[in-house]
Amino acid sequence: MLNRFLRSLTLVSTVVLATLAPSAHADVLANVTKSGTIKIAVPQDFPPFGSVGADMKPSGYDIDFANLIGKELGAKVELVPVSSANRVPFLTTGKVDLVVSSMGKNAEREKVIDFSAAYAPFFNGIFGPDEIKASKADELAGRTISVTRGSVEDLELSKIAPPSAVIKRFEDNNATITAYLSGQTQLIATGNVVAAAVNERSKLRRLSTKFLIKDSPCFVGLAKGEAALQAKVNEIIAKAKKSGALNEISQRWLHATLPAGL
Amino acid sequence: MISFSLWDIVRNLAIGGALTLLLSLVAFVLGGAAGLLVLFARIGKWRVPRAMAQMHIELFQGTPLLLQLFTLFFGLSLFGLDMPAWLAAALGLTLFTSAFLAEIWRGCVEAVPKGQWEASACLAMSYGEQMRHVILPQAMRLAVAPTVGFAVQVVKGTAVTSIIGFAELTKTGSMIANATFQPFLVYSLVALAYFVLCYPLSHYAQSLERKLHAAR
Amino acid sequence: MAYQFDFAFIPDYAGMFAHGLAYTVGLTVAGGAIGIGIGIGGAISRLWNLRPFGNLYRYYVELFRNTPFLVQLFLIFFGLPSLGIKLVEWQAAILAMVLNLGAYSTEIIRAGLQATPPGQIEAAESLALTRWQTFLYVMLRPALRKVWPALSSQVVITMLGSSVCSQISAEELTFVANFIQSRNFRAFETYFFTTAMYFGLALLIRQAMRLIGRHLIVRRPLS
Repeated sequence: MLNRFLRSLTLVSTVVLATLAPSAHADVLANVTKSGTIKIAVPQDFPPFGSVGADMKPSGYDIDFANLIGKELGAKVELVPVSSANRVPFLTTGKVDLVVSSMGKNAEREKVIDFSAAYAPFFNGIFGPDEIKASKADELAGRTISVTRGSVEDLELSKIAPPSAVIKRFEDNNATITAYLSGQTQLIATGNVVAAAVNERSKLRRLSTKFLIKDSPCFVGLAKGEAALQAKVNEIIAKAKKSGALNEISQRWLHATLPAGL
Repeated sequence: MISFSLWDIVRNLAIGGALTLLLSLVAFVLGGAAGLLVLFARIGKWRVPRAMAQMHIELFQGTPLLLQLFTLFFGLSLFGLDMPAWLAAALGLTLFTSAFLAEIWRGCVEAVPKGQWEASACLAMSYGEQMRHVILPQAMRLAVAPTVGFAVQVVKGTAVTSIIGFAELTKTGSMIANATFQPFLVYSLVALAYFVLCYPLSHYAQSLERKLHAAR
Repeated sequence: MAYQFDFAFIPDYAGMFAHGLAYTVGLTVAGGAIGIGIGIGGAISRLWNLRPFGNLYRYYVELFRNTPFLVQLFLIFFGLPSLGIKLVEWQAAILAMVLNLGAYSTEIIRAGLQATPPGQIEAAESLALTRWQTFLYVMLRPALRKVWPALSSQVVITMLGSSVCSQISAEELTFVANFIQSRNFRAFETYFFTTAMYFGLALLIRQAMRLIGRHLIVRRPLS
């Protein structure tokens, strides 16, 4: 009964949409070239990739790289701050043209969006205070771990964590980090460089590495079927890797040279 | 690296607070105008507009503001409409406000004694004249206090728009809380700012209500 | 590529939706029951100006009625730990619900109590009812009867407001919607369906409050 209802709901809404939606999906690259502006989603709560300073303007690895893309395209960049949880909807609903928001690639996401080549290194893992021992997933039993909902960490941790581990999922990295620092959770799942950046700023509660979960480099996200834009972004990434521009960004924000295999 | 002084915190919160105030004003004014339309449809004689107005009220009073915002923000974009966070926030709050105000005002219109309708009908007034000269002036007197009171709910409602990323007071607060790692201080200041915005309104609403009761 | 609606995934998540629904109902029941209890206590203290409760209640009511629920929630969950008070998310969510509803019901019930006609109290005294009996049967019960619709609306409003508890990782209905949305990216369908669930829940709670009101308050006293 319910199934049938849902199927007809799907059908009806598709028909309604077909009559309302603009006829053809425009080519984003052509639009960007024409309008001279590109909307890029960036993080604002994820140091060192993107976080706000005293002027409330985001800065970080992702912001620098987004600006680099804009420069290469000859377009003005409009930065749109997003949270990890809503990055993909921003893209699928056409609110932004690109997502440069330290986003990892996985099968679930590849079903709905496309990815460029990798532009930044990222290892996610479990971090926490020195007194808690946890060197592998099994030792998370009975622990509380904060993680940002919908992030690669969340998806990976959900697969490997023992049933008795309590995963607390938050809307954005702000809340995830604050939850850990305020002691609401015992551990936090995030990126290694993020942990380092938080340590650099806060003496509240150290994040030392417990174990790494996955090598999950960052990719630029694009709406499905934007082959021209995808080729262009890949070209920009390749060029920036070769010219050392990307390495410069890496030095500035990650204090490390860009890994050769990226 | 990044360092926030107390002044930086207060200054940025003030900017967020200004946006909260602006959003509240927009929602209240537009919501009030839309609410009037809904009210007239709701108390009018025609069946179809009356049913539509009732549906509007039930829908927006019966579902969470947060989900209304999510649906507007992510839903309408699917129809090819550009829906930035501020627009979704303003539109969502306007619809929310219109439903509540229409219902509050309907209560006020209905609180006007039946005798007033009958008396004005005896004077051979048309429906429009009854409304304009007899019913609405009296209903408006009753409506002022609860309307001002509801303004407080509008201001507080704007906090929810932080979740779709509109950088008002609460969003600014959580960004600063994360950058300074002083959530208690920052959220206390945020709460204080809302209190400063809301308390005068609720106090005024209460004194209006007392005056109205004393006058009767 | 135009967007294709697809609601077919919803039965796959039936268990999660049920969990979220139960969580939201739990928050509402706890918030409603304890909150109205606080409201009765508050209304009495305020009305008779019991020291020091009368004044404390006044500050509490003003504070909670003039700040957003979301900010209260953040302050309790993220802020209080720095004062050494650590509440896990469901405790924080219930506390915020209780305090919020308590503040509103204090004001609502107080208005009801104040509206007791003085003649009723005099009549009760002349019937040699004790002070407690007078309060219970002549003041409180009629007052609650009078304000029960307003209290019911407030409970529904608070239930709808509980959707922001998702922000502190409390796994209520909106959290479930967000969770599913972050797994399959069907944002619109998920939110649409969840909104409909809230709508149904609001109707149910209204009915439930009506029944409770009929049994608890309207039942003839002193038979």
